[in-house]
Amino acid sequence: MSRQRRAAGPGGLPSCAAASRSGRVGKAAVLALLTFALTVALTFAFLTPSPAHAEPPPEPDGYRMDAYRAPVPATLAGARVLDTEQAAALWRAQKAAFVDVLPRPPRPANLPAGTVWRDQPRPSIPGAMWLPNTGFGALSEETEAYLRAGLGAATRGDVNAPLVIFCQRECWMSWNAAKRAIAYGYRDVSWFPEGTEGWAAAGLPLEPVEPHP
Amino acid sequence: MIHGESGGNAMTPNSSDPQRRIRERARPAARAGVLAALLLAATSLAAPAQTLPPAQSAPAAAPDFGQDATREATWAAIRPDLFPSAPIGEADGILRIEAPTRAEDAALVPITIAIALPKGDPRTLKAVTLVVDENPAPMAGRFGFGEGTTAFTLTVRVRVNSYSYVRAVAETSDGALHMTKAFVKAAGGCSAPATKDTAESIAKLGEMRFRSFAQSGRPEAQVQIRHPNFSGLQMDEATRGYTPAWFVREVEVRQGRKLVFAMEGGISISEDPTFRFSYTPSAEPVTVRAEDTEGKTFTHTFPGNGS
Repeated sequence: MSRQRRAAGPGGLPSCAAASRSGRVGKAAVLALLTFALTVALTFAFLTPSPAHAEPPPEPDGYRMDAYRAPVPATLAGARVLDTEQAAALWRAQKAAFVDVLPRPPRPANLPAGTVWRDQPRPSIPGAMWLPNTGFGALSEETEAYLRAGLGAATRGDVNAPLVIFCQRECWMSWNAAKRAIAYGYRDVSWFPEGTEGWAAAGLPLEPVEPHP
Repeated sequence: MIHGESGGNAMTPNSSDPQRRIRERARPAARAGVLAALLLAATSLAAPAQTLPPAQSAPAAAPDFGQDATREATWAAIRPDLFPSAPIGEADGILRIEAPTRAEDAALVPITIAIALPKGDPRTLKAVTLVVDENPAPMAGRFGFGEGTTAFTLTVRVRVNSYSYVRAVAETSDGALHMTKAFVKAAGGCSAPATKDTAESIAKLGEMRFRSFAQSGRPEAQVQIRHPNFSGLQMDEATRGYTPAWFVREVEVRQGRKLVFAMEGGISISEDPTFRFSYTPSAEPVTVRAEDTEGKTFTHTFPGNGS
């Protein structure tokens, strides 16, 4: 996925290099140095080992049960897989319900009185519904009911309504949740594996979101 | 929060901050050494998809490019609750904090705080508070000292939930607060699942170990208390719910009758709370008393001269 965007990303490398050079670069020496430095930098950028370049893992038979922050499969049976551009197109057209499943543990009920607690803020895709903690491999009855109700609300009860499910890059929780949505009978499920990280990297806006009640 | 080592500060809003991404990706450029600022733009576009996992990244030598502002915003949000009304001064050379830049295990991050008043300073040390900014319960522990303490070194292991500043805020007898901080790259510490060791900690609940390091020439001792110290943020796959918080709330270490230190702890203290601290052996026995959030108390007495 990173490769595709690397090649096709809007405002990608060529335009950037051109922009750098079209500035006030009068001297040949500076230009040469610049070119050299760019080459060095790009070489490093491409050679730096990164798990995203490894072969994506195959789809497991069931849900992913642990180590949720790890390279994800390239596919999800029964779902479409969206890159950032495709997700953004759906978002701009306001044609799909976006559902964020990034986890956030609730404040434990039994903390000593006076414990200072601060929930981590969550900047998400504008308009998305946040259903935290619904991407684990096994859900409690309560969480499962919360996920069903949330998806129902997001799609206004229409199992044919397009759903886009995401969290962050290399986050199995979105994969799990999208798989569950399919199991619940939703017929137009998209999985957006790049999540908010890919979204922000593409210069798209994020805004703070609160968990769906 | 569920995310382990490869998570970076995945669970924080910071991870979506383009500034941060630029900085992360700029590392190769920094290695090239020249025209780093210019290359920033080039590399950020050239390698958009991958933020390196902590284990493979270069040390954090690159400048922060404004990310610091976000992190200080966290501090600004929690500071009034933790230290209402009191102004907080600089470390003034009396306070130091040591933390690994990149922690191997986010659930076991050793933090050392060293405080020493200069000779002739009429003040004494009252307490030091350890704060992990980005943890949902940021106050890791407050450590009060015995009367007349003018120098104290303490090492404690904490959980770090996402890339965070850890701060030590020391209080001197004149009521003044002094602060220093360090940045730790670790993520997922608060929600790291229970292990086999956890089961053992429960089986041996409240057992303690005490060791003096005086024989090896260091005026220090270590206390370990067996306790799972559940943070309340750990998902239990068997029950499909969060394991309720259950942790050591108070620890008191005395040498004879004299207080060495007393801790008020939160969810950030690691499993099997372990404290290494300034200690000079004497004939006086050492008594350690701990109380957990269920009101269970554990008290053990050890010979003061060793283990």
